[in-house]
Amino acid sequence: MNARTWVYACFCGVLLLACGGAAVPQDSLTAAQADVKGAEVGGAADNPKAALHLKLAKDQIDEAQKQIKDGDNEAAARTLDRAQADAELALSLSKEAKAQGDASDASEEVGKLRKEISK
Amino acid sequence: MKAAMTRTRTMMTHPLAALRAALPALFALGLGSLIACGTAVAPQELMDARTAYAEAAKGPAADLAPAQLDTAKTSLDAAQKSFDSDGPSQKTKDLAYVAERRAEIAAAEGGREKAERKRAAADKDFKSTQIEGLEKTKEQLEAERRAREAANQDVNKTKAELATEKAARAEAEKRAAAAMASLQEIAKVKEEARGVVITLSGSVLFATGKSDLLPIAQEKLNQVAKALVGQGFKAIVVQGYTDSRGNATDNQTLSLKRAQSVRDYLTTQSIPPEKITAEGEGASRPVAPNDTADGRAENRRVEIVVTPDKG
Repeated sequence: MNARTWVYACFCGVLLLACGGAAVPQDSLTAAQADVKGAEVGGAADNPKAALHLKLAKDQIDEAQKQIKDGDNEAAARTLDRAQADAELALSLSKEAKAQGDASDASEEVGKLRKEISK
Repeated sequence: MKAAMTRTRTMMTHPLAALRAALPALFALGLGSLIACGTAVAPQELMDARTAYAEAAKGPAADLAPAQLDTAKTSLDAAQKSFDSDGPSQKTKDLAYVAERRAEIAAAEGGREKAERKRAAADKDFKSTQIEGLEKTKEQLEAERRAREAANQDVNKTKAELATEKAARAEAEKRAAAAMASLQEIAKVKEEARGVVITLSGSVLFATGKSDLLPIAQEKLNQVAKALVGQGFKAIVVQGYTDSRGNATDNQTLSLKRAQSVRDYLTTQSIPPEKITAEGEGASRPVAPNDTADGRAENRRVEIVVTPDKG
């Protein structure tokens, strides 16, 4: 590769960056919004820790939409990745809390039954 | 000046020539950045992600949510790689943020799976406890049934015993009534406050002035004894009486001896000695006037006072 080829390559790279390069992360936006919806349906709003991550996910989706509007699609894609991770975490935390509550209730029921039988 | 103009023109004619001239400087800048990255401190997000992953790997996720933990590791590796190549850039921070969340997701999923297993075990325990309870109830019902059956048997047995006892009592009463009826043929029988009083005439039992029983007296006393044994009693007092003729002390002595003779004979006829006593009453409590022969004969008597067993 001679010096002229190097120069052309750099020039093309600069042109690509100037044009914004990355496309609008529409799929990521849709996926993050779906995850937020899923977390809400899964009861994330009822658990304080899950609710916090649900809010973070929503705020980050708003931020990503702003970044898309400003043409910063690459940053928007990463912000949406964060939003998706928060939404998924919200759902997981909600499910975990529910499972722990159910397990505790079930153990309590066993205790009550045992007490009843031993009377 | 001319040379400079020529150079400027040349640059304008060939703009790429300027870039070529700047290449060494650009190279030096890039190299400097790389060196800077090599020594840069990891951003807080990456450190948090490492901590979150380490905690998740120590928890139940290692066994119960390995796929999620693997995803978290991949995310952490991507963040680390970004840091290695780009330093603490926004991209690195974003990747680390996602990696931390992935680690937390793995931990939560591990916790959920653990809780679900605990619940499944509790449900199983509940069912087996229910079965245990049912078995216990069944056993209790069976025991109650057996106890009821035993109680019924006891009731039936008691009823049978009562019936037998009732029949035996009726039979005994019948026998006693018969004995009493036969007794009434040989003696006066009267119910008084002190008990049933059987009065035997002294002339039937003893010779005048004697206290030895006449042979015929023994037959009568046999009948009396039979009636008493058949009826049952608590105590018997044999009281001897005389008429008012003669010395009172002698009468007293004679009446006592006669009473003792009757008492002693009755003890030979199945009357328990400890239940029977003798008393001499002399001429006291006459039942007829002593100024006629018939009256005196009535007053010479032996009374057997029977305290009934019941009532």
